[in-house]
Amino acid sequence: MDDILIVEKACKSFGELRAVREISFTVDAGEIFGIAGPNGSGKSTLFNLITSIPYPADSGRVLFGGKAIHRMRANRICRAGVARTFQKETAFDTLSTIENVMLGSVYGHERPDTPTAQRRTREALAFVGIAEDQYGRPAGELSVFDKKRLMLASALATRPRLLLLDEPASGLTKPEIDETIELLRRVNAEGVTVLVIEHVLPLLLTVSNRLMVLNQGQELTTGRPDDVVRDEHVIEAYLGSRGKDDGRDS
Amino acid sequence: MAFETAQSVLLSGIVLGSLYALMATGLSLVWTTLGIFNFAHGIFMTIGAFIAWQVGTDLGWGLGPAAGIALGVAALVGVGCLSEFLLVRPFLSRSGIVMLVVITTLSATIFLENSTLLIWGARYKQMPPLIEGKVELLSTAISAHEVLMIAIAPLTLLTLWVFLKFTRIGSAIRAVSQNQESALLMGMNVPLLYSIAFGLSAGLAGFAGILLGSIRFITPGLGNEPLVKALIVAIFGGLGSLGGTIGAAYIIGLVEAISTFFIGLYWTPAILFAGMIVVLLLRPTGLFGKK
Ligand SMILES: Nc1ncnc2c1ncn2[C@@H]1O[C@H](COP(=O)(O)OP(=O)(O)OP(=O)(O)O)[C@@H](O)[C@H]1O
Ligand SMILES: [Mg+2]
Repeated sequence: MDDILIVEKACKSFGELRAVREISFTVDAGEIFGIAGPNGSGKSTLFNLITSIPYPADSGRVLFGGKAIHRMRANRICRAGVARTFQKETAFDTLSTIENVMLGSVYGHERPDTPTAQRRTREALAFVGIAEDQYGRPAGELSVFDKKRLMLASALATRPRLLLLDEPASGLTKPEIDETIELLRRVNAEGVTVLVIEHVLPLLLTVSNRLMVLNQGQELTTGRPDDVVRDEHVIEAYLGSRGKDDGRDS
Repeated sequence: MAFETAQSVLLSGIVLGSLYALMATGLSLVWTTLGIFNFAHGIFMTIGAFIAWQVGTDLGWGLGPAAGIALGVAALVGVGCLSEFLLVRPFLSRSGIVMLVVITTLSATIFLENSTLLIWGARYKQMPPLIEGKVELLSTAISAHEVLMIAIAPLTLLTLWVFLKFTRIGSAIRAVSQNQESALLMGMNVPLLYSIAFGLSAGLAGFAGILLGSIRFITPGLGNEPLVKALIVAIFGGLGSLGGTIGAAYIIGLVEAISTFFIGLYWTPAILFAGMIVVLLLRPTGLFGKK
């Protein structure tokens, strides 16, 4: 199978703290690749390094579709076909929902004409299932679920081949999580390779083809989800930090 | 007070307000977009005036006022983009960027001020008014050039508003000022947008300088006092709100005109600062600023 993403010995430190230490892994085109790990294990930092948003890796290489992207600027990486969402809902709060996604259609891709960009905007919004009466509302006033879906729609509007989702289900209700799972599957069925960080383990276990577990900035194990959850190191890492882990998310 | 006096004070307030609106909007645009204060904004104004003088007047190259304005503004857009690249971009990812940029832009001011002294000398320059003669306005005689300033400032700002509101680059600049991460997520070239915002801001400063250069002598220090006023206006109007900045510019222009007439030129800055402090005590986000 084709490797769409290869990460080789990626490192990132914040002063003394080594947030990501020599992580290497490969993602196949078309798969849903899950990433789990206790709080502070370096999951979000890893996404930051891959997309250069907001910073690149200190060292190591990132190849996307065979091309080195670790020295490219964030907007180039986006245009090359890598999109992401953030752990915390992030949008242009005073712009309307539709204006937000429109900016993604216009800037995420090489100069589409306005009608094309408008069509893609509406497609992305319909795809994630935001109700049409929300299109004109300022993004800052949307519900949490709609904000998450807006972020996803903005990312999809840039027409990615690889999509990185940072905790898409955190803070959602059970029915909303189910909808999110279904949405991830539909994104994947469109041919988009998906990397997904999640604390909600059932979500990861249902959707991912493979699962990587990080601990203290290092890869603990990677494999089929069923095998991974039975791995004793994983159990230890999770149990060892259970107390912290339940009070999720800063 | 005589009716005519009131009118002439009012008019000179509006002239000042127009000038401050042009200056402060540029300052405020850079603040909202990049989150920094550009202390070189005043010297940008000075350089705009000098270039227009050089290009336009008979003592310079004598190409006429239109060429002077066009080249002056265009050159300043370039100076602005270059300044962003040299003075701001190296520090973009640093946490202490606000203070660092205060230092780099103040240093650039000293450097550029001395450069203008070297290039154009210490002798005062003056540009002829863009339109000669006087106009009877509200039964007060006022120079046609000042009428032009009153008319042209709102037009320029309206153009800026249309640009920010209705063009792709304009909406990207508004967007990036709100949320840098989202802008990156959507593939925007954030440094380029910063550069454009800086260039526009410098162009506005240059234009203001050219207008001012016809009613005051052009010296290397031409932009110093307007810079201070523009800072007061931008803070007074509520940082980050362009509409508020424009409103505040006219209010401050009027207060200055009234205070200069009744209390005197030397007390005016003190009164403005006192007013600003009172406003900030009552409304920390400025007169029109949102929470
Ligand atoms: N900009 C930063 N400056 C300093 N330290 C940082 C920064 N970003 C992250 N860290 C630290 O790096 C480590 C890894 O953080 P990261 O956000 O990648 O963890 P995570 O696995 O995503 O955790 P969570 O499950 O809480 O989202 C943490 O200890 C965090 O405090
Ligand atoms: Mg995280």
